[in-house]
Amino acid sequence: MRISKQLQSIKKIPRTLVALIASIAAALFFILPALTQQPVTIKVLIQALEAEQLQPIVEEFEKQNPDINLDIIEAPNETNQVEDLYTSAFLLGESPYDLVYMDIVWVPKFAAAGWLMPLSDRVSQEELEQFLNGDVNGGTYEGELYRMPFRSDVGMLYYRTDWLKQAGYKPPETFDDLVQISQDLQSRDTVEWGYLWQGKQYEGLSAMFVEILEGFGGFWVDPDTLKVGLDQPEAIQGAEFLRSLIKKNISPPGITTYAEPATHRLFINGESVFLRNWPYVYGLALDSPIEGEFAIKEMPHSRQGSSGASQGGWGLGVSANTNHPEEAWRVVEFLSKAETQKEYSLRTGYLPSRRALYTNPELVAKYPYFPELLKVIENSVLRPPIAQYSQTSDILQRYLSAALTGTMSPEEAMNTAARETRAVLEQSK
Amino acid sequence: MKPNTIRQREQLTGWLLALPALLLLLLVFAYPIGRAFWLSLFTRNLGTELQTVFNGLENYARMLGDGRFWSSLTHSTVFTAISISLELAIGTGIALTLNQAFRGRGLVRTVAILPWALPTAVMALAWAWIFNDQYGIVNDLLLRVGLIDQSITWLGDPVRAMLALVVADVWKTTPFIAVILLAGLQAIPEDLYEAHSIDGANPWQNFVKITLPLLAPQMVIAVLFRFAQAFGAFELILVMTGGGPAGATEMVSLYIYDTVMRYLDFGYGAALIVVTFLILIIAVAIASFLISKTRIDVTGER
Repeated sequence: MRISKQLQSIKKIPRTLVALIASIAAALFFILPALTQQPVTIKVLIQALEAEQLQPIVEEFEKQNPDINLDIIEAPNETNQVEDLYTSAFLLGESPYDLVYMDIVWVPKFAAAGWLMPLSDRVSQEELEQFLNGDVNGGTYEGELYRMPFRSDVGMLYYRTDWLKQAGYKPPETFDDLVQISQDLQSRDTVEWGYLWQGKQYEGLSAMFVEILEGFGGFWVDPDTLKVGLDQPEAIQGAEFLRSLIKKNISPPGITTYAEPATHRLFINGESVFLRNWPYVYGLALDSPIEGEFAIKEMPHSRQGSSGASQGGWGLGVSANTNHPEEAWRVVEFLSKAETQKEYSLRTGYLPSRRALYTNPELVAKYPYFPELLKVIENSVLRPPIAQYSQTSDILQRYLSAALTGTMSPEEAMNTAARETRAVLEQSK
Repeated sequence: MKPNTIRQREQLTGWLLALPALLLLLLVFAYPIGRAFWLSLFTRNLGTELQTVFNGLENYARMLGDGRFWSSLTHSTVFTAISISLELAIGTGIALTLNQAFRGRGLVRTVAILPWALPTAVMALAWAWIFNDQYGIVNDLLLRVGLIDQSITWLGDPVRAMLALVVADVWKTTPFIAVILLAGLQAIPEDLYEAHSIDGANPWQNFVKITLPLLAPQMVIAVLFRFAQAFGAFELILVMTGGGPAGATEMVSLYIYDTVMRYLDFGYGAALIVVTFLILIIAVAIASFLISKTRIDVTGER
């Protein structure tokens, strides 16, 4: 009945319209497929520095996949600016990028905004287990995988082996050890400063503080219940500990303005016993006056907590509105392959995200610290994977900075931070 | 034809000729501002999955209790007021000097404009290092001179960080004011000074009675430009302090940027923009009202 009615109504449609529809259909079914025989272009925006490092991989990929043209668009090297560029691209609707090269902390926000394609169906559980837990968890939002890990990054403790040996100390296990060794070496006039970390009001402060929280057995925000732990005694102790480092002159007063470069420079110039930083410093230190006089280990902790290493790292997600999800996924697969990651790590010194590579003979021959690093990276802790992470992190940075500079007492600062964080999380429920 | 209709015709032609320009203004200014007003009545953030939900004046109510907004507004005002006053004073001095004839004046004039030509982000990075507590040249100089006996953490203290920002901003933008004022100075006829001197005026009286009043229009223009720029200062702060320490140098521009671009809280961001926009408009209106009064005094006309 219905169909015949519709057929009748079709008859009423003027011929020109029929012709138009027919030609559109022809275009869709015959002409477009013919066009798609041409290589498909897959676009991704990556920081200029890394885009250049990735070039050999791009060439290799295109050689193996002649039907795909992988186009890397160069972005500024500043992480925040890349995030902004992706954000504006997605906000304007049709994103020009098929792939998204993501820092670990962007995942929840991008996923919550609906900009990323879920990937769980495309990769098996066994396959995922080959990767470092922290990297996989960091790419997951509300139980769904949105980002395949590519390279990893993790916070760790650098220390001076020569001075510790001279003074007869073992590397510090606890915060108390760290304080004691620092003060002893400083009082002997061996060295100016004891311990350097990132105390400026910026994202690095939050990344560093999750290690302190873990070390004292506290927490920031529980991603499942959205419970805030910043006003718990452990978190307040953490803030007090950092403040005490400045008060006791173990860390320079200017630490409240230091990001990574300022701290690694002081350490490499031999002005501090300990340094908290990312793996990039290792290569720099090998090429400096302190070569052979330093080592790395996992972060110290207090008696009630455990060692924590802040998880960073980069990976690829597929843009939700791409016209070529299959081709985009093939790129992701290629970059996740053990072979690609090994080659990339050998060439650049970046950390792979596959566990097995840390004991790979070729990589260990070139980077003898990789097995040690694996121990650090297995202890990694995530910054809270919640959609409102940016706001949450800003609040922590602001009040932690207030506590460190002495404008607020650590307790008052942490209480206010907790209150404001709750307000933000409440608002966007 | 009656004179009346001729007049009407002329007016019509005038409007027609002005129409394209008016349309353009409407398109590039009125539309975005109007849209910001409209969007400020809605909630659109990650909590609503970026869908637009009407909420009336809720964003404005939220703003009343938002300490971060009001403190950032205060920081912007303090920063703008101090840096513009300093720039105007120093800029006038530089302009007066460059207006004198001396050997190598051309070279000095070119060098004086250089800071203005530097990209802000680059010079901000340089100033961040200058004020660094360990390697910074400021501490080094002060230590050598003996004014301090211990390094000062410039960017780690709320008041000193603001001071450092003002110094960097003054360094960068004083040349701009100086160049505008220099142009104004060169337009003042020499014979005015001659006549005044013959009447027995000293250089100071010359400056107060002739230079200042005749330079007032240029000063106003320079200050208005600088007001808008300083209130919207962004890269300088982002690079030097990032709004720290403890949010003590966070300007309203930085807060709006965070709200929109990083928190993806568009409705609230729009409301922040609207309120800041209104405050700026009111400030400019008050300023131009005061200025129009002084200008009448200057020329003695009514």
